[in-house]
Amino acid sequence: MSHSSSATHAQQAEIFCRDESRVDWHSKALWLMREKRDRAAGSIPEWEQLRQLGSEIKLHTLTNLADLLQQFEANCQANGIQVHWARDGKEHNQIVHEILARHQVKKLVKSKSMLTEECHMNPYLEERGIEVIDTDLGERIIQLAGQPPSHIVVPAIHMKKEEVGDLFHEKIGTEAGASDPTYLTRAARQHLREQFLSADAAMTGVNMAVADKGAVVVCTNEGNADMGVNLPAVQLHSMGIDKIVPNLDSAAVLLRMLARNATGQPVTTYSSMYRGPKAGGEMHVIIVDNGRTAMLQDKILAESLKCIRCGGCLNTCPVYRRSGGHSYSYTIPGPIGIAVGGSKDDTNSIPWACTLCASCSGVCPTKVPLDKIIHHHRRLKAEAGQLPYGKANYMPLVGKLMGSQTAFNCSMSMARGALKILPGSLLKPFAGAWGKYRELPVAPKSSFEHWYKNNRSE
Amino acid sequence: MPGRNEILSALAKSALDKQPMPVIDIAPNMQDLTGQFETNLAMVAGTLHRDATLELVQEKVNSLIAEGLQVLSLVEGVTGNRTLPATPHELKDIDYAVISGELAVAENGAIWVTEQHQHRVTPFICENLLLVVAEEDLVANMHQAVTKLTLESGSCGAFIAGPSKTADIEQSLVVGAHGACSLGVYLV
Ligand code: SF4
Repeated sequence: MSHSSSATHAQQAEIFCRDESRVDWHSKALWLMREKRDRAAGSIPEWEQLRQLGSEIKLHTLTNLADLLQQFEANCQANGIQVHWARDGKEHNQIVHEILARHQVKKLVKSKSMLTEECHMNPYLEERGIEVIDTDLGERIIQLAGQPPSHIVVPAIHMKKEEVGDLFHEKIGTEAGASDPTYLTRAARQHLREQFLSADAAMTGVNMAVADKGAVVVCTNEGNADMGVNLPAVQLHSMGIDKIVPNLDSAAVLLRMLARNATGQPVTTYSSMYRGPKAGGEMHVIIVDNGRTAMLQDKILAESLKCIRCGGCLNTCPVYRRSGGHSYSYTIPGPIGIAVGGSKDDTNSIPWACTLCASCSGVCPTKVPLDKIIHHHRRLKAEAGQLPYGKANYMPLVGKLMGSQTAFNCSMSMARGALKILPGSLLKPFAGAWGKYRELPVAPKSSFEHWYKNNRSE
Repeated sequence: MPGRNEILSALAKSALDKQPMPVIDIAPNMQDLTGQFETNLAMVAGTLHRDATLELVQEKVNSLIAEGLQVLSLVEGVTGNRTLPATPHELKDIDYAVISGELAVAENGAIWVTEQHQHRVTPFICENLLLVVAEEDLVANMHQAVTKLTLESGSCGAFIAGPSKTADIEQSLVVGAHGACSLGVYLV
């Protein structure tokens, strides 16, 4: 179930969809999170006001990013924090490696960071002899399984407890056949305690970087970020340029929504703020671009940088829930993954892993216009002549058909006719991988056009 | 730094028009802050001891010590049976840590805990955590909390809402992930 850069979303989804009961189970687990989110959002009378503020704060930040980044840098330095800048993933990894090598680090404990996934940091460091231990339980599970994350908040959501049990039995010596989540979590706690206590350095992602304080905010439920950074002397925090917030007032608005929108909790268990290194220690912040400034040069794509990575749009997405996180070619799956990864998608297919239902935009705490951005990606692909196989053939035809009223009406009635007379086996290949495990719609006897003609236009 | 300058000059080419910072003006819900706090703390799996006193906390600590447990107290007026070790790693066998919280937030059950000595890991590495907060330091929401909290240059702090937890295996909630496995809050 690993990423394959050449397989399209539909081809990958086809693999996931073969096991129908697993698809249903996956979809339900995510929908449960959506329901919890609805309850949490509903319990805050000012929820919509918060979303509006969240959107405006992020827009203000993105449109003043150069100033705020420099303010953040200066304040960090005044607090004894060393700040580094990386144009891309490669530079990021080099900077990290250089810091770790200087301290002869053999073992690095890491808490969840989608950015280090985006930069492919783990393999880079491992090739250079540094052991990287992911410490978030879900991340540790997929690391031991040799898989990429399938969700940005719950990375092992695609795995069943029995599978985790077998994996832990093999890798960390839990009892054979044991699959109780509490037992497995306790075993992981013991296993990871040893890692925390023997680590030479720790690294985390950043949820927010507070410009006027020169501090980073890191949120975890498990406490793994804090267990990590507070034991060894060296701590590193990697952040995209989009993680800046002007001040703590802004952070408060986003913190009120982040966990509520992610899992339905009133707040994440630990929202920690680091405003300088520990006594005798070193603290590094690495600010990464990796395509973000380019996104800011497109008015529509720019808004995807308002995202605070709550995962809400994944949980609600009908395509994500039924195709699984591994069906997307980009590290981040789901609607936000399409928005920020669409330009890097060499399969030219993920912008079509979307029904444009806009459920994602409706739940987003910072009002990222996801459906608009995804639609925009389709246009960009079409303009670049990168329509996915199949679509490239019929899209120009669609254009011609739509342009000619008579031809359009004819073809629609032909399709309705075909649905009625041709056997499914003949038609289904035209419905793509989706159709394989779905029934084709029942053809209406008469179209709206026919009905209108017969009833209204005498 | 080439990276820095290039990123900053690329930002000058942004397509977005400047947007002002919005005014954050949200009316706090001031009704029964202690009640709100208690409900939300329970929701995040913490336990509240209302109308507590330091004597009561000391009694609790005494009973824990009598059970043979290792207790470290950083709260003035409460004494445990352990003192601060030389390295943070030596805190690994602390059963209970007693620490004071600076603020408690009614809307979500979180408590702001500042860095109180050189071992920042204390509230996270202990098996169980007891936080002592003055009832007068209860605020309605996060907007109020961030205007009041202390975060000195060179230090750290954390909002702690309940014991550590995870739902990473099939979405079933397990309390006790990497941080403390239980949280008791004493409002004094
Ligand atoms: S786009 Fe919005 S809903 Fe999706 S992860 Fe980002 S903040 Fe959450």
